[in-house]
Amino acid sequence: MTRGGSARALRGFLLALVGVLFVLSIPWYRRGGDPAELWLGLPDWVTVALLCYAGAALLNALAWLLTEIPDDDPPEASQ
Amino acid sequence: MTEFGRLGMLGLAFYLFGLVALAFVARRARASDSPADHFLAGRELGVFVLFLTLYATAYSGNSLLGYPGEAYRRGFSWIMATGFMLSIIVTFHALVPRLRPIAVRHRFVTPGDWVRYRFRGEPGGRVLLFGVSMLMAIALANFLFAQLKAMGELSAEVTGGVVSYQMGIALLAAMILFYETLGGMRAVAWTDAAQGILMMVGLAALAAWLLDEARGLDALSQQILAARPEIGRVPDTVERTNWLSSILLLGLASTVYPQAIQRIYAARDGRALKRSFAWMSFMPLTTTLVVTLIGLAAIPRFADLGEVAADRVMPLLLGQWASIGPVYAGAAVLVFLGALAAIMSTADSCLLSLGSSLAEDLFGRPRDAASTTAFAKRAAGAVMIGMAVVAMAARDVTLWGLIELKMELLIQCVPAFLLAIRWRGFRATPAWIGLAVGSAVVIAGAIAGVKRIEGLHLGIIGLACNLAIACLGSLLLGSVGVRAPGDGASR
Repeated sequence: MTRGGSARALRGFLLALVGVLFVLSIPWYRRGGDPAELWLGLPDWVTVALLCYAGAALLNALAWLLTEIPDDDPPEASQ
Repeated sequence: MTEFGRLGMLGLAFYLFGLVALAFVARRARASDSPADHFLAGRELGVFVLFLTLYATAYSGNSLLGYPGEAYRRGFSWIMATGFMLSIIVTFHALVPRLRPIAVRHRFVTPGDWVRYRFRGEPGGRVLLFGVSMLMAIALANFLFAQLKAMGELSAEVTGGVVSYQMGIALLAAMILFYETLGGMRAVAWTDAAQGILMMVGLAALAAWLLDEARGLDALSQQILAARPEIGRVPDTVERTNWLSSILLLGLASTVYPQAIQRIYAARDGRALKRSFAWMSFMPLTTTLVVTLIGLAAIPRFADLGEVAADRVMPLLLGQWASIGPVYAGAAVLVFLGALAAIMSTADSCLLSLGSSLAEDLFGRPRDAASTTAFAKRAAGAVMIGMAVVAMAARDVTLWGLIELKMELLIQCVPAFLLAIRWRGFRATPAWIGLAVGSAVVIAGAIAGVKRIEGLHLGIIGLACNLAIACLGSLLLGSVGVRAPGDGASR
């Protein structure tokens, strides 16, 4: 695989992980209405969401740095 | 007048003076009177200014007043706001790398330029352009209205009523019109950069004070839960569905914000753009999370604020903070200016985008003529005055309610951008029919007073109908051999 190809594959992988973190951030894993314990100063399901978003922010930033944004449109890409 | 009011007036005067000076410098820096120079700053925005202008534009009066208000109303589940603001920067991956090179090659100025280019010569292309431009204009006017309302609320609260709600709107709207007309995108981007820095510093200071007062996050959460124990419980299925729906709604709709698309065009190069977006990934944690905590911290301090009054928790907290002493009053003024800066920077971006879209996309003015710039300035001025009058009269509307309505309409434009840029077989006629049906679902819901069904936004339901019609219609036209003009051997 070329360097550009592996960067694209890694970017795709990072974005897939970001998607997983978004799904995990919502407390589907708990029953609605259950009481919460404080964990790291916040209700536990809030802390989990926050950690997911912090991880997603980091991975998304890395994905942007791996993104190729050409400054000109190759002729074949033109409609 | 209180100490806070006096300092607030003084800070406001200095801030406005600084904006005027910056507008004159931007005016001197212009290369020509062309729309590209006025609306895109000559396509020369580097990483630092681009990042700060993206930041200041994305975090608006909605974020600074509306989000703390919603956190106050809904409690801890408003952590979802950090998620949906982040989802915007994630969704841009689907648009930016493909749109940017086409925009550079064909010298796009407005979002409508993409639609015009992509569907050129196709039956239904002009109707689609009109539909997309109308929805964007409505969304921008709504956005402008929300910023004007936030400006009025903030200035009235901070000056202790010396500057009334109506006077605040009139004064600040006139200021925005002045520097935007004089310096265009260059003035807007430069003032955005200054405003972005002010906002970051101000919010950090306020959050530090709130945490210090409460003796840490743990103690703050306990105080919040003592005041309203129910908001610490795990959200029910409807609230969780709404959480997911909000991530989808904001993430998709914000990608087609006209002012954000114009910043993609205005970047100096792809490298500046990707670095700016990488930095933007962290801003929900430094801004949305902070304003959410501010709204939550208001719960034990202010019992039973009404539905609309909850949007005032930020100025109310500033007032409390300032009453401690002169140093705190000075810090509160800094936060006030930061919040005001955020609101004004979003309003000026809306105005600039609205002017260019009205001139080119709705009134068909030529893209490269200086007369188009003049027309756009007049059109934007007229809309600004109209929206200011509406904002003065309609004070009793919640900011979050306005955001939802705007996003639900704007999201109907998503297929014309995200799908059309990836799928050559996507056709204009089913796209505009889908857009019309999706918008009709949202408008019918707004008239009937229905916002969500089981937590799902009507905008998302409308988008599902929109996508089904647009995709099935495009496939059908493709299968019966109806080809788009210029769609030949390559397919």
